[in-house]
Amino acid sequence: MLDVLIFATLNGVVTGLLLFMLAAGLTLIFSMMGVLNFAHASFYMLGAYCAYSISLYLGFWVGLLVAPLLVGVLGALIERYGLRRVHQSGHVAELVFTFGLAFLIEESIQFFWGRDTKNYQSPDILDFALFTLFGQEFSAYRGFMIAISVGIFIGLYFVLTRTRIGIIIQAAITHPKTVANLGHNVPLIFMGVFGAGTALAGLAGVIAGPVLTTFPGMAVVLGSIVFVIVVIGGLGSLAGAFIASLLIGLLQSYAIASDVGMQDLLNVFGIDFPYDHPLADLWGLTLPQIAPILPFLLLILVLIFRPTGLLGKREE
Amino acid sequence: MTLLRKLSVWVAYLAALLLLPQLFDSILAISVFNQMAIAIVFALSYNMLLGQGGMLSFGHAVYFGMGGFLAVHALLMLETETAHFSIIWIPLIGGLFGLLAAIFIGSFSTRKAGTVFAMISLGIGELIAASSLIFVDFFGGEAGISGDRTYGPTFFGIDFAQNVEVYYLASGWVFISTVFMYLFIQTPVGRMANAVRDNPVRAEFIGYSARHVRFISFCASGLFAGIAGGLFALNYEFITEENLNAATSGRVLLMAYIGGLGYFIGPIIGAVLLTLMNSLLSNYTELWMLYLGILFLLTVMFLPRGFAGFIMMHQLAWVRGKLRDLVVPYLMTGIPAVIFMLSLIALIELVHAEEASLHIYGLTLDPAAAGTWIALLLIATAALFGTRRSLPQLRAAWDTANHIPDEER
Amino acid sequence: MAILSLKNVHKSFGNTQIIRGVSLDIEQGEKHAIIGPNGAGKSTLYHLISGLYRVTSGTIELRQQPIHNRAPYEISRLGLARSFQVTNIFPRLNVFENVRCALLWSHGFRYSFWHLLGRQGELNDSAMHVLDQIGLKDKARYPAGELAYAQQRALELGIAIASGAEVIMLDEPVAGMSHSEAENAVQLIRRITEGKTLIMVEHDMNIVFDVADRITVLVYGEVIASDVPAAIRGNPKVQEAYLGEVATSA
Repeated sequence: MLDVLIFATLNGVVTGLLLFMLAAGLTLIFSMMGVLNFAHASFYMLGAYCAYSISLYLGFWVGLLVAPLLVGVLGALIERYGLRRVHQSGHVAELVFTFGLAFLIEESIQFFWGRDTKNYQSPDILDFALFTLFGQEFSAYRGFMIAISVGIFIGLYFVLTRTRIGIIIQAAITHPKTVANLGHNVPLIFMGVFGAGTALAGLAGVIAGPVLTTFPGMAVVLGSIVFVIVVIGGLGSLAGAFIASLLIGLLQSYAIASDVGMQDLLNVFGIDFPYDHPLADLWGLTLPQIAPILPFLLLILVLIFRPTGLLGKREE
Repeated sequence: MTLLRKLSVWVAYLAALLLLPQLFDSILAISVFNQMAIAIVFALSYNMLLGQGGMLSFGHAVYFGMGGFLAVHALLMLETETAHFSIIWIPLIGGLFGLLAAIFIGSFSTRKAGTVFAMISLGIGELIAASSLIFVDFFGGEAGISGDRTYGPTFFGIDFAQNVEVYYLASGWVFISTVFMYLFIQTPVGRMANAVRDNPVRAEFIGYSARHVRFISFCASGLFAGIAGGLFALNYEFITEENLNAATSGRVLLMAYIGGLGYFIGPIIGAVLLTLMNSLLSNYTELWMLYLGILFLLTVMFLPRGFAGFIMMHQLAWVRGKLRDLVVPYLMTGIPAVIFMLSLIALIELVHAEEASLHIYGLTLDPAAAGTWIALLLIATAALFGTRRSLPQLRAAWDTANHIPDEER
Repeated sequence: MAILSLKNVHKSFGNTQIIRGVSLDIEQGEKHAIIGPNGAGKSTLYHLISGLYRVTSGTIELRQQPIHNRAPYEISRLGLARSFQVTNIFPRLNVFENVRCALLWSHGFRYSFWHLLGRQGELNDSAMHVLDQIGLKDKARYPAGELAYAQQRALELGIAIASGAEVIMLDEPVAGMSHSEAENAVQLIRRITEGKTLIMVEHDMNIVFDVADRITVLVYGEVIASDVPAAIRGNPKVQEAYLGEVATSA
């Protein structure tokens, strides 16, 4: 039991940190520009595919360095020439634009790379067990994932709170006009933040690709969950996104690892249903089965009872 | 518009619906028309939410799918003779289930419009699509469920075994649905939906709860989406989890947006356009989805009011009789633009071509020959330049045609 | 009996007190102006009365019925209408539709989806009548968002009065208007609020002293004076806090 718990926790943390890498970029972009970037998970996917291609010729580590940069540059260009143009048509148009962008990026990826699953390998140097507990191995690559994620967050926190550009960004998030009046180039900042956000998403793709498989559906799998996280954590709150990411990561991990089902719950009350009962599907539900939908259940509950999320700003 | 002109538009619409199969009677054509009918009702129902009500939903397929699933179950009930009614009522059954689902879900999801509403709709859509794979009895798991529409009592001797018979039934429902959705806008709550879209705060100050108005719009759109789902069930006799998922929701958003949200006829245009792209274009190229994505993005960026909006932009010029002044500038800019697009498409197809030769526009091109590439690139570049050069003239002509001199104001 | 009555109303946003114990009684049929320097809390007071904000403490009563903390649409249905300082119309509907929507509830249509608006003769006549009163009859089919500024303000007014509410609250109705436009607007306001209770926030002292039966002066969220115009003019506290050197045109 304990070994299941420990490994489930570790896996949950890995997933949670990965999700936060995506959620952080999304939150930054939303705080700054008021637009929920629907295509965020597509940039994640793009990062994975780019890194895969680079890794074929130049190895994993070059891919790790270069792919996020490529994705970030593309993101900045899209902001400059696409999103900025749509901005004047209102929030709905922006959301629809990013939605169309998501669609287009996924189709383009399939166009350039094909529809098959790519054999994106983690680097050999990390192909050992970091430690073995109760007979189960925890791979060094996963440890690497944790290390990179934590490193990025420390760096992000440092940049946002201790450097000049970071403080300007924080100010521009809430008061773009004032910041512009102070002589800063706000459009450039917007472009930079969008590029940085998408680069983060791309980086998440680079390190997740080998583990979560690089295939055309990878954006869809994560995309909705990232939105759930951002909403649950509270739109616009990085701390909230962090808590929510870990929460969801751990929740899913525990749910999948557990063996509990509706049957067990009902047996506690001494109820038993025959197998051909019309609602047999419901009674036969197990926790691992509903693990994929748990985040959405949580989302709906949060939106009903606490629409501003865990740490979001309250409205009057 | 006078009453006579309005009525004649509706008569023309009904006539077009009924006469289409007479003009194009191949099996493929009838199948395409059936798809169009379903898409029209679905897209119009979506516009009740987005265009009329200002509520962007990423989960509208739920009501479409739910309607479809209950419709197939109803067909199964007819088959097992647990129920006894003509299948002409199936779309209504689908509609009622869509309405029920909308009432339930709308009760908590319509509190806010905007981003929160969009996120809730996404969450609900994913939740239900995922749940459908768990509740296998109702949803049939990954394989879905299928039925047979030839059971139940015949309707004046018709058993609806043939596609064209289904088409006439569908066009009847399309017409009725269109009429009712149009009339909805002319009712107090329909008009208030527009007001709430424009300014929810002010709407409250004139006595209306914005939430309540949104809820009613939401339920109405769920009803018609369910009807579209019922039509789908009748046409294909089969429905799966795919018909409830985010991809289907995305497709109806595309249809409504490309067609034009702010006009009633917009979604109809979008539905027709997208169905044609889906069924015809997909025969010529694997990449039609890519083109669809590009078209969508271009529409969002350059034609935010959709194709309907583009047509209506010319209304002022038409009223003032200045439309003919625009013809030459349009040709001067339009022809190079079209050539540019076609050459770009050829290039994309060439990149993608796996076989030794590419058949496009009646020509046979050789992907291996450098000459093909150079020629296409030159044509594309030249066309692009041509477009950019004539654009200022088009703009000037446009301004002149639309300029209202001070005397006329 | 006062038709609108505020008793010791407080409003704080976090630790900042905006309204500090405002008590006010407004009689039926009265023309009441609220004046005060910028930041005094006039708009906040309006938002509290019309239901946009909740009070931190205190009560607001309309015809002796508590309306504080109720939703704006409930308060509107009880017969209190307001206009906004920043034009707040329905830009994509035409002028006629704007006014007609404002009439819907008072004509009893509620959330009906079984009446066709085009066939409601009485409703449409009433809407036209309002358009006539505000002088926008010939702009009936114009999209509201494309009107000139002064016309939008007139429409703003029209939406407020259309419902036939007994208490009408106007927030700087002539702001941004030229002198002649403002004069027309004031005449319009006089005409359409005849017999009704009018509350008006206004900066132009000439209009205030012209229109108002009573004036309340709000400074830093407190009422420092509430009296007839003559008394306000001579009140030293008011002069010190707000009016300064006023060239009174007797």
